[in-house]
Amino acid sequence: MQNITNLVQDAAKKLLEDKTVDLVVGFSGGSLPLRSTPCFIRTPEDTAKLVWDLSCENNLANYLRKKNQKIGVVAKGCDTRSIVALIKENQIDRDKVYIIGVPCSGMVDRNKVEQLLEGKELLEITRDGDTLALKGKGFSKTAGISELLHNSCRSCGHPNPVLFDQMIGEPVAAGEVDTFADITEMEAKAAADRRAFFTDQFSKCIRCYACRNACPMCYCEECFVDCSTPEWIGKTIDPQDSMLFQIGRVFHLAGRCVDCGACERACPMGINLTLLNRKLVKDVKDLFGAEAGLSLDDKAVLDTFAPDDPQPFLVKE
Amino acid sequence: MIISKKDIPAFLDGLMAEYRVFAPVKTGTYTMFQQLKAGAEAVLDYSNTKIPPKGILFPQSEKLFTYSLTGEGAKVEEVIDAAQSVVFGIRPCDARSIALLDNVFNNDKYQDPYYLTRRANTVLVGVGCNDPCSTCFCASVGSGPFDTAGLDLLLVDTGEAYVVETVSEKGRELAAKAGLTAAGDAAQAAAARVKEEAAVTSAVSTDGLKAKLDVNFYDGIWDLIHEKCLGCGACTYSCPTCHCFDIVDDATGTDGCRIRNWDSCMFPLFTMHGSGHNPRTSGKERYRNRVMHKFKYFVDNFEAVACVGCGRCINNCPVNLDIREVLADIRGSEARLDK
Amino acid sequence: MKNPYLPLPMKMVKNFTETEDKLIHSFTMEFLSEEDEKSFAYLPGQFAEVCVFGKGEAPFGIASSPTEKGFLKFSVARVGVVSTAMHLMEDNTMIGVRGPLGNSYPIERLKGKNTVIIGGGFAFTTLRSLATYILHPDNRGDFGALTVIYGARNPGLLLYKDELKEWEARSDINLVCTIDRPVDGWDGKVGFVPTVTKEVAPPADENTIAIICGPPAMIKFTMPVLEELGYKPEQTIMSLENRMKCGIGMCGRCNVGGKYVCKDGPVFTRAELNQLPNEY
Repeated sequence: MQNITNLVQDAAKKLLEDKTVDLVVGFSGGSLPLRSTPCFIRTPEDTAKLVWDLSCENNLANYLRKKNQKIGVVAKGCDTRSIVALIKENQIDRDKVYIIGVPCSGMVDRNKVEQLLEGKELLEITRDGDTLALKGKGFSKTAGISELLHNSCRSCGHPNPVLFDQMIGEPVAAGEVDTFADITEMEAKAAADRRAFFTDQFSKCIRCYACRNACPMCYCEECFVDCSTPEWIGKTIDPQDSMLFQIGRVFHLAGRCVDCGACERACPMGINLTLLNRKLVKDVKDLFGAEAGLSLDDKAVLDTFAPDDPQPFLVKE
Repeated sequence: MIISKKDIPAFLDGLMAEYRVFAPVKTGTYTMFQQLKAGAEAVLDYSNTKIPPKGILFPQSEKLFTYSLTGEGAKVEEVIDAAQSVVFGIRPCDARSIALLDNVFNNDKYQDPYYLTRRANTVLVGVGCNDPCSTCFCASVGSGPFDTAGLDLLLVDTGEAYVVETVSEKGRELAAKAGLTAAGDAAQAAAARVKEEAAVTSAVSTDGLKAKLDVNFYDGIWDLIHEKCLGCGACTYSCPTCHCFDIVDDATGTDGCRIRNWDSCMFPLFTMHGSGHNPRTSGKERYRNRVMHKFKYFVDNFEAVACVGCGRCINNCPVNLDIREVLADIRGSEARLDK
Repeated sequence: MKNPYLPLPMKMVKNFTETEDKLIHSFTMEFLSEEDEKSFAYLPGQFAEVCVFGKGEAPFGIASSPTEKGFLKFSVARVGVVSTAMHLMEDNTMIGVRGPLGNSYPIERLKGKNTVIIGGGFAFTTLRSLATYILHPDNRGDFGALTVIYGARNPGLLLYKDELKEWEARSDINLVCTIDRPVDGWDGKVGFVPTVTKEVAPPADENTIAIICGPPAMIKFTMPVLEELGYKPEQTIMSLENRMKCGIGMCGRCNVGGKYVCKDGPVFTRAELNQLPNEY
């Protein structure tokens, strides 16, 4: 990881020195253990702030839309898929972005760490090969990194950048094959049980919209949840309204969501949002054989119509 | 006075006969303030709740009144919650935030009966912090682990028991009702020791901060400070002193109600005029307003910083935008004393 | 404790299309009882939160003057949920009014002085209230000369056309209406408000106060004219608007710097505004 940090710093430094870009968006060390934070580097000297480690979980494609400058961005596999999707939607100009692609072996899920520490505060974290030593006041625990990775990282099929101007380090092997087991498990439950489960999840929702704002693909100038004419969704914290917001958002993302997990990572209340997103990722894959953001040459799946598109709701088979 | 920790569940059960009792309760990974169904639900071993208890006095969604339209007029009925409540286990930072909110809901011209009725009918029983977190910077903003602002009783954790200090008349009455016994000298000494040893490790210097904010509204620093901010409401809804709200109607036919919901100045629509004009067009203006409101305007109006150093915004921000770093950047120097 | 969130039910008795483009309607709301009217003692410059039950509330400057008994008048541009509901409303519908809110024009300070009122477009609402108040026989003697400069894009967009005609005929008010560009059938002044102000407004002296209310562009270009004429920031009074909800300084929405437009305003002197950030 240290090596990758240096390589990222060097790459960014060269880009700024050569004036290939006006700005590099990457990660710098956060103010808490196991946190890093998006940073905006404009001078070669400041590139020393850049880091790359297990906490670089944000999707930086979120900062690239509709910018006039030439921007360099540090992007892992999922992030580059978002960039591809955004280029196809004319939100990013391919000529204005320089992608420093970093193959990613996964990011640590802070919620899993918090559960492991039973709510005690993490004060120090050190990596030793495949394990992490987690220390706090009067305690110390070790855990295998793979246990602590985000679920979306464990079954990530695209850890390597799909589009890049420069790749840092060597490509990595994909994670476990994604069988969407979490989705089929939920699908198998009775409707009443699923409803109860999601109502319970959404009773935690505080309508902060961190999920929406962290998502690179959510960029509507007026989000449907804010529309008052008509008021599609109530503004209280009634779980039914919160659930409807998320369901609507997830449908707006169908065929565009790259399953980066930014929404779930941003949620301060730990709501299991990827369950909903991944249901539609699975459906799009099953129905149309498509995954979002893999190639600039693919047409956006829900933007195209083929006469043999499956339409069981329309045509009796 | 003193109360042993093992007597707390019974103490809370006793209170529940007369009061609605709120206390920290474990909900999944996090701890949140909830109304107790049994005294045993309360957790005593926690740092702080994910979301502050201000929602007990100022709920996130609250009915203001119901109405019914008739031929001759509109029958409007206010919905005021006058139940007697006890909030047990509130941290001094959160209690201070309630004292700050009192200025908002009882201002120089108007009184908010919803908040003020609940406030008058609620006893705040605080538990001081023996072990502040690394993100707690209460001592830098006029508070501290054993601050009594806003509290009615303060409990000091001496290991097996709490030494109970009376802060207000309301607190005195509650303690008397509960028949608490007097604390001996040893217990008092233990409490004093605990208070001395509690250390707030995170410190931000606020020297000259206000003076900077008085003059830097148009400074270019704001372009950089907000850059990674997503513009969501996570900080707002985690903050004990935030109080912005929206008012909406909900109706079917001739009957309906008016509801208020928390809102956030970080959202673009917050200040959007009907004409389409928005005085705060981008995240920069909105973030600047947030910082100005808490560290300048509130000080100008009420001589107090509208931040109690609870650290929740730091923990809950999806991009780790740390207010302590922001304040240091504004002061323009290495103002983080703990870095 | 008085509950400042409860609306006073009133009856909307007249929904009048005020402008040719139909975008502004004026509404007359009747008090349901004398008691209700007594509870709503207001002064020109104040506003109220008008609610359409079931749709919501919105803040509107009170266009009527307290000298006009039995009713309140509001002029409303159609921009959103509440204003659209009002525009479509039939006469004799029950609505709610919360108020009076905000501070007022400084009536006591204006007594004995000359007043220059400058308004543009449909920001003229509370200025109508002020002019009507001053012109009332009970009050006229307390105030000095009254000059009113009122501009709109074209004649069809002028509000209160009937009143304007009456005022033109009076000798105790100098009313100058102006439109942006020449239009057939208009023989009044033609020119933007700042230009006309330069021509027509009396130069400042310690006995004259200027009150200005209008769209941001108009204010931006009229302020320098007033400065040139010698009006000091303390003698220039403005009424701001901002998005509001509670109207009582608690919901945090309408602040300009540390002041709430709803509670500490909407009327401010230019001097007071110079102390506040330019965020409105």
